[in-house]
Amino acid sequence: MSKVFMPAQPDELWGILDENPEAVVYAGGTDLLVRLRSRFTKPDCLVCLERLDDLKGVKADDDDIFIGALTTHREMLNDPIIQKDLHILTHALKQLGSPPIRNMGTLGGNIVTASPAGDTLAPLYILNAQLEIGSRNSTRRAPIESFILGPGKVDLAHGEILSRVVVRKVPKFEVHHYEKVGKRNALACSVVSMATLMNVSSNNLISNIRLAWGSVGPTVLRFGDIEHFLVGKPLTVEGLSEAINMIQELVKPIDDIRATACYRREVAGRLLLRLLKYSV
Amino acid sequence: MKSTQINIGSTLCRPDALLKVSGTAKFAVDYYGQDYIWAGVKRASIPHGTLKNVDCSKALKVPGVLTVLTHKDIHGTNRQGVVKKDQPVLVDDKIRHCGDAVALVLAETKSALAEGLVAVRTDTKELQPVKDVMSALKPGSPLVHENNAKGNILLAGEIAVGKSLAALKECDVVVEARFETQRQEHAYLETENGWARLDDKGRIEIVCSTQTPFRDRIEVAEALGMDPENIRIIVPNVGGAFGGKDGITVQSLLALAAQHSNGRPVKMWWDREESFLASAKRHPCMMAYRLGAKLDGTLHFLDVDIILDTGPYDHLGGVVLALAMEHSGGPYRIPNGLIRGRCVYTNNPVGGAFRGFGVTQVTSAIERAMDLLAEKMGMDRLELRLKNALKAGDRNFVGKTLTTSTGIIECLETLSRHKLWKQKSSWKCGVPPFKRRGIGISATMHASGYGPVVPDYANAKLELTTRGSFRIYCGVVDMGQGNTTANIQIVGSLLNQPIEKMEVVLPDTDKTLPSGSASASRCTYTFGNALISGAKIMQERLCQKAADLMMIKDSNEFSMIPGAIRHLPTNREIRLETIARIMDSSEKTVTAYFRAPVATDSVTDDKNLRLHGIPHNLFSYSANLAYVEVDEITGKVAVADYLTVSDCGNVMNPQIYEQQIQGGVCQGLGLALYEDFETLDGRIITKDFSTYLAPTSMDIPDIQSVALGIHEPTGPFGAKGIGEISTNGPLPTIANAIFDATGYMFDKSPITPEAILDALNINLSG
Ligand SMILES: Cc1cc2nc3c(=O)[nH]c(=O)nc-3n(C[C@H](O)[C@H](O)[C@H](O)COP(=O)(O)OP(=O)(O)OC[C@H]3O[C@@H](n4cnc5c(N)ncnc54)[C@H](O)[C@@H]3O)c2cc1C
Repeated sequence: MSKVFMPAQPDELWGILDENPEAVVYAGGTDLLVRLRSRFTKPDCLVCLERLDDLKGVKADDDDIFIGALTTHREMLNDPIIQKDLHILTHALKQLGSPPIRNMGTLGGNIVTASPAGDTLAPLYILNAQLEIGSRNSTRRAPIESFILGPGKVDLAHGEILSRVVVRKVPKFEVHHYEKVGKRNALACSVVSMATLMNVSSNNLISNIRLAWGSVGPTVLRFGDIEHFLVGKPLTVEGLSEAINMIQELVKPIDDIRATACYRREVAGRLLLRLLKYSV
Repeated sequence: MKSTQINIGSTLCRPDALLKVSGTAKFAVDYYGQDYIWAGVKRASIPHGTLKNVDCSKALKVPGVLTVLTHKDIHGTNRQGVVKKDQPVLVDDKIRHCGDAVALVLAETKSALAEGLVAVRTDTKELQPVKDVMSALKPGSPLVHENNAKGNILLAGEIAVGKSLAALKECDVVVEARFETQRQEHAYLETENGWARLDDKGRIEIVCSTQTPFRDRIEVAEALGMDPENIRIIVPNVGGAFGGKDGITVQSLLALAAQHSNGRPVKMWWDREESFLASAKRHPCMMAYRLGAKLDGTLHFLDVDIILDTGPYDHLGGVVLALAMEHSGGPYRIPNGLIRGRCVYTNNPVGGAFRGFGVTQVTSAIERAMDLLAEKMGMDRLELRLKNALKAGDRNFVGKTLTTSTGIIECLETLSRHKLWKQKSSWKCGVPPFKRRGIGISATMHASGYGPVVPDYANAKLELTTRGSFRIYCGVVDMGQGNTTANIQIVGSLLNQPIEKMEVVLPDTDKTLPSGSASASRCTYTFGNALISGAKIMQERLCQKAADLMMIKDSNEFSMIPGAIRHLPTNREIRLETIARIMDSSEKTVTAYFRAPVATDSVTDDKNLRLHGIPHNLFSYSANLAYVEVDEITGKVAVADYLTVSDCGNVMNPQIYEQQIQGGVCQGLGLALYEDFETLDGRIITKDFSTYLAPTSMDIPDIQSVALGIHEPTGPFGAKGIGEISTNGPLPTIANAIFDATGYMFDKSPITPEAILDALNINLSG
């Protein structure tokens, strides 16, 4: 049996982490407990973060939106700030897991799990999200793409926790698009996903676009070259076709039990065509 | 509270529904007992090998481990099985699949058990696994059972129909196709589990989740060398089974553990991974079809070759093969042809009973072949089916004359009048960008009962209690399908008593009477018929008793009313509890027997095929329709609508009837589009629910069920079997709809987005 600590104050947390160098923290437990179940030996000490109220909830000031790492997916879906400004996240959250998973799982857990299939990640990459990482004596900030190092790997030391996610409010995008391709419509790990923020001019030219793909590489992938290339292109089959080929060359998918690399590559490119529904 | 009248034909909410949703209903997992211990199984985890030694010494040193048992502790045959007993309780010579049980550990706690299981060491010599049916059939293949006379073939059979292969040349059009269906896991909510105890008289009581308590008792007794009388099996509420609990799971292991636990109760509960590893699955099936017709669309010839992968044991593989052969021609008149079938041993997971029972596989083949034929002939799919659909008096493909209600034509005609059929063109026209739409149909039939040889009987028992209520002793398990509710409806309506006067005793080999398995779409048909006789005897007996008490000559002047018996000419009444008090206990209990009628047609001389069930006598029918939308970008298929029109006899309870249709369709959709229990060289790849994907509510369309309610004269209140037929429709219906949408007939299931993109191979970006 593992010991479980449930600190309610940051100081308490830092103390526990200092005294238990092997301690493993968790939030909703929807990733961690699944992993532990299949292991024969369990960690001696678990630290549940759910009572740390400072790490919960969504706030905004004039420039930024702040999402506490302990905010659950359900809370984000219900939040008026997110509903107003971060549709891209809402689209992704609606397809994450199932109602019970969304009730338990948190944004911080999704990020630290660092699965290339994590549904909030591609949106956060194109929102240029910054992460705030706290420890006893300091707080540091890191862009999400430098925090996530590979599947299950993040730049986080013992004694540090992810405390909140910061998203700039500008620039504004008209189109917030997220498509997840899973093997079924709920409780499915994505096989490919694509998140898009885009503006289209009145003459149907792409004036601004950010794109990121999930499940086609060791981390979420974003390609500056493709984004640049697409600016000024018409939002038509012809306008997108070259970019589709470029995407298919750039992604680095693998074969696994859910899909072949070949399928992921093919679909990663084709998903761009779905943007045609926003043409004017 | 207002008393609730019970009727046949109207919905009676299942009396166990509230208990189940509120968590008060007891399942086998809810039984622990005082001072109980845990038992668990060491699994082989290699697909094929010789077992040289099991070293228990380390495990015995684990604190909390009480004992470790091996085949040496078994004093019976150590073999289980329904037809052919080829499955060991604990491996004694060879390991034949990864899930084989090699040792049984008894421990004080769950964690000691887990540690003990790891500490058991097996010394094995791995053998080359027989990884699929094709390699199993090759000369020189390793053998799964060295002493099996037919090598790796468990059962093979052949039935020639009419002029057999000679009729091929008389056909104007012939289509030829091969189909392959996958292994499917039942995925019931309640995994295999139970509880057992040896009492001081040497009797073992087992509470477990099973479909077959009476057969289990005999199997356990034989395997362990016990007297069946010394085994009692009790089946409380069951959390799903779908065929997966038709046969031994934990029973023998529990009884063996109870023999060595010094009288302490023993509990065993497989987790999901163990359930996946050790339980039986739907047989993977390969089918080669040649279907021929005359120019006007009259079917003339069918050549079928079926190969099932039964894994290492018979389980019910032979019977599944026979039912598949029998249904291989679908619900059509096909005068000539040849049916060949082989059920083959491999080192894959065990193949066994699964709702649909072989019919699901062959229906998917004949129905896809029908669409290929319609396409080739330029004929309407529905017209082709209507033209050839069976009528009463026809002989079905295997040559059995249809003497019971035969409603497939009405099913198809009702479908043709349904708005989903009529609006199909306009729905297809509204197709959005990057989508393709298609409509598919299928027609199916499904037998119920055991076939001509194995007696299909039930013994109902009914008791008047001193409270004046009626206690029904249900001999057939209700694993969630609702037959217990049907039993209550039968007794309540015949005896004119409200729901408050009904009690049930769930299957218990000490209390209820042998009534066969909860399988083969037979529960309500067979047990219900017995119960009707029982209720009628009860009624006569009680009216006679009332007449005697009132000293009135003619008991026909009495009628049962809620709670009492009334003399109609005088309106005098006598309460049921009053009668109950003056009756002897032997008088208060009635029993009644029913044996299902069987086919007398001699369709084959092969005694073994007859033993395995060919032919049946009673069939249910359905016609199905689906709207599907295929996404050109991802290859994903969305099922937009699904309709089943069924002839399963008169409807006793509309809600439960519809639930059976809905549930079966969901499982069938799983087979069509999602579920695949994959193995590689005998090892399981999809080990749990994160990789074995069954459809969720978000993947299931609106399912409409239209019940024709045709009265079946031999059925209880005109009912027939409803348990399985709906599982057979979705795969061919969806495949045919995708064919309609894309022009590509998929021959392998599940039909995955990848396979669709591969086949379409369209260049969307010009
Ligand atoms: C059935 C099921 C379906 C799922 N479906 C999806 C899906 O569709 N899409 C998807 O993206 N995910 C899915 N998941 C995964 C999971 O639910 C999400 O990743 C969720 O966001 C994890 O959050 P959590 O709070 O439960 O994480 P936890 O399990 O609590 O933690 C996960 C990891 O993050 C660490 N951690 C958590 N919080 C912090 C913190 N504040 N600081 C530092 N480290 C932290 C933990 O140590 C652990 O390593 C599914 C999981 C299950 C069980």
